[in-house]
Amino acid sequence: MITDKFWPAMKMAALYLLLCIVTFAVCFPLIWALSTSLKPKSEIFATPPTLIPHSTTFENYEALLSGRQQYYQSGGAGQATGPTPAQFFTRWFVNSVIVTLGSTLISIVVSTLAAYSLTRFRYWGRSAIPYFSLLGYMVPSIIFVFPLFLMMVRLELTDNLLSLVFGYVCITLPFCMWLMWAFMRSIPIEIEEAALIDGASRYQVFANVVLPTALPGIIAASIFSMIVSWNDYLFGRVFINSLDNLTLTVGVMLFFEGTHVDWGLLMAASVLMTVPMAILFMALQRHLVAGFGAGAVKG
Amino acid sequence: MRRLDFLQSDRFVGLLFIAPFVVTAIVFMVYPIAEAVRMAFFSYNPLRPDLVSYVGLNNFEFIFSDPLFWSSFSQGTIWTLLSILFQTIFGVGIALLLHRKLFGMAIFRGLLLFPYIVPTVVIALIWRWIFNPEIGVINYSLQSVGLISEPIYWLSTPTMAMASTIMLNVWKYTPFVVICVLARLQAVPLELYDAAKVDGAGAFRRFLDVTLPQLREVLIVVIVFRTIWTFNKFEEIYLLTKGGPGTSTFNLAVYSFEQSMASLRLGVGAATGVVMMIMLMIGSVVYLRVAGFGNEEKST
Amino acid sequence: MDVKLQRINKSFGNVSILKDVDLVFPSRKFVTLLGPSGCGKTTLLRMIAGLEDISAGSIHFGDREVNKLAPRDRNIAMVFQSYALYPQMTVRRNLGYGLRVRKTPEAEIDGAVVRVARILEIDHLLDRKPAQLSGGQRQRVALGRAMVRKPDIFLMDEPLSNLDAKLRVTMRGELRRFHLDLNATTVYVTHDQLEAMTMSDLIAVMHKGVVQQFGTPEEVYGRPANLFVAGFIGSPPMNFLEGTIDSGRFRIGEAALPLPPLADGIAHGLDAVIGVRPQDLNLVASAGPNALAGRVSLVELLGSEKLVEVMVSDRTRISVQVRAESQVGLGENVHVGFDAQSVHVFDKRTEQSLLAEATKA
Repeated sequence: MITDKFWPAMKMAALYLLLCIVTFAVCFPLIWALSTSLKPKSEIFATPPTLIPHSTTFENYEALLSGRQQYYQSGGAGQATGPTPAQFFTRWFVNSVIVTLGSTLISIVVSTLAAYSLTRFRYWGRSAIPYFSLLGYMVPSIIFVFPLFLMMVRLELTDNLLSLVFGYVCITLPFCMWLMWAFMRSIPIEIEEAALIDGASRYQVFANVVLPTALPGIIAASIFSMIVSWNDYLFGRVFINSLDNLTLTVGVMLFFEGTHVDWGLLMAASVLMTVPMAILFMALQRHLVAGFGAGAVKG
Repeated sequence: MRRLDFLQSDRFVGLLFIAPFVVTAIVFMVYPIAEAVRMAFFSYNPLRPDLVSYVGLNNFEFIFSDPLFWSSFSQGTIWTLLSILFQTIFGVGIALLLHRKLFGMAIFRGLLLFPYIVPTVVIALIWRWIFNPEIGVINYSLQSVGLISEPIYWLSTPTMAMASTIMLNVWKYTPFVVICVLARLQAVPLELYDAAKVDGAGAFRRFLDVTLPQLREVLIVVIVFRTIWTFNKFEEIYLLTKGGPGTSTFNLAVYSFEQSMASLRLGVGAATGVVMMIMLMIGSVVYLRVAGFGNEEKST
Repeated sequence: MDVKLQRINKSFGNVSILKDVDLVFPSRKFVTLLGPSGCGKTTLLRMIAGLEDISAGSIHFGDREVNKLAPRDRNIAMVFQSYALYPQMTVRRNLGYGLRVRKTPEAEIDGAVVRVARILEIDHLLDRKPAQLSGGQRQRVALGRAMVRKPDIFLMDEPLSNLDAKLRVTMRGELRRFHLDLNATTVYVTHDQLEAMTMSDLIAVMHKGVVQQFGTPEEVYGRPANLFVAGFIGSPPMNFLEGTIDSGRFRIGEAALPLPPLADGIAHGLDAVIGVRPQDLNLVASAGPNALAGRVSLVELLGSEKLVEVMVSDRTRISVQVRAESQVGLGENVHVGFDAQSVHVFDKRTEQSLLAEATKA
């Protein structure tokens, strides 16, 4: 009787083990970054390297969040020469938030309205537009960047966060459009028709009936849009040049260009940069997978 | 009265709602792409806007005779093919692992899909840290276990740099494959497995005869998509190696960037972009053929 | 090869699906597991197939205990509700799959496939894929897949439920013929009592994981063991009336209806339920000791018959089947005549048939 259960249980255990190993391997970079960020400078370079820090310190996070100037020698009283990246961290964080939320808002509003229009009304180009949009999605951003940059030059918007908002709309709108269109198509028209018969105007129907039903799709599209905007490096690099206006991604890369690399600080910055994305992702994982499943594979 | 009617009429609402998209798309999608194509025929120096001049096909001549362009092209192709290969193998493998009712599966799923949302900057920096030849943890571990006797210079030799960028690319994008394959796996009718069991097929046979054929279509779509995207990726290479050492990890996107930003030859950069777009179109046609082909077979 | 199920129990966690199932399916008979959804019939079938574990009990094919055997080692074949044809393989390869997996030589596989295809009249479809076949054709391929393997036991899980009504009628006969050709023990699962009645040698009526009755179609129809079987078998369904046993007759309200002779031994004063099929009732001209008075509330024309619903009291309806020619109008006052021989008697509390008890006693 015992042997009956033994091999299936062994098989389960082996699978579990494999799963744990693979998951650990995949998450290792981030775990290591976290571990490094919490170590005092002395321990970072110690051999053998430790996964769990012997002594934890929050000095790196403190430095970033308080905007303290970065010192080149450990121990505190070294010399800081010129503006150091750590001071700007909070500023860059705020910039990223502004740009991400701004572009997402625009993309979502535009694509939701458009998706509704495409699925409920008839006019020329109705079926072509979503596919054009998808085509736009496939164009790599490197092609968009420089023409858009020149446009910003003409509009005298260079080094301005607004230019980034527009840039990110450019890369997030196509997929949001596709996603919302696919989603709107699956919402049955009957509830709207019932509302129209009851006397509501089109605008009311849209606001009160359609939007609530489309919420899962809107959430999925928003998450996608926010992730793309937050993570982008290319546009930020090309459009912005003053330290004050950099986004987090471009700014943190600057840490690395200096002659002395403070790995603890850099890892702490990496962790802080990833945390918002992690929160978004964890909390709304279901929506993301559903949204991608509907849009991506179909396209 | 009539004007009010029109404003309230369906038709108007429809056009009103699509207007923002049309405007935005024209300004931020159609225009830039058109401009990019136009710029390919001009010589642009952003620091000397007055010296803009039409140069016909000169930019294209330039890139087609530039050995760096061709090495970027071939390197980019190798990078793409190898990345896709590993992404597919790992993607299918992990999806199969995740496609079970084990306890806590939701947590595993969340953790394994994580790389997809990590900013490329972050993973590039972490990579540089852990793969640092002297002080990185990877080399230390490999040496202490005895697998290597000397530190590996992960980012300093052309081959290793290529390998490193491939690794990063695989790490970041395998989750995408996992999601797609997993979604498809969950739609496979369970009765097919039962029938195969009764017919006498063992576990491996069932994988070959039931699972794999069901995955065929989604894998084709995923592979084509990922190939198109990977070929044009910029950040995954640039942020890790800046295209180096030297120019050994250049791909077309990095080449275009360098021409525009470093060499200030925006026209050349645009011309490269045009070439990339043409390749993209070829890829899309291939995709449509293959995907459409699949559909035709089913409906007859 | 007969199938013996002994004290089969099955639970998922705390939920008990099957309780103490004890059945013997004689060799080469067509046995049906019949019951409503959730009664455990499909689970039982899957346990016979080896696709589901047994929590307790044993299954024997002939002398061999098969509890621990994988499906591939049990020499069974199965037709699934959705047919489960391999979508990427042609009909030819679908038919031959079982043999191919067992490493039978190609020539032999080919011969067997062609032979079976000819018998089932699907030989012209051999090179098509399942997506290109109709429902009925797909089912025949599923049957062919089983036939090619020459199994000892043949299992079918509601194979007709995906077909339209007309096709179902034709297929019933074909399946019965198929069973005879195959010469194996067939276990068939369905919720349709008509299918069970027309095709089976033996029926096991199941409800909530317990076998209610196991017998021939005549037995389950004519001598139902309890209220459930009585109400489940037969269409239109049996009428039930509640009352008490009073000196050899059935007292309901003011009336005292006749009971069959077998009921003589039943205790006086017992609360009971009688059941009579609509076909066994008729509308009589006048009141009498064997009739109940009532008013017609519904008349349905079934074709050659009419189904008349009579309200005999405020809450009690009786359905009577009469010939279509009978002129019965809505709202008419009529009398429903009972024939003692066709009355089934059940204990109200235990729901068991009291006639069976009486014969035992």
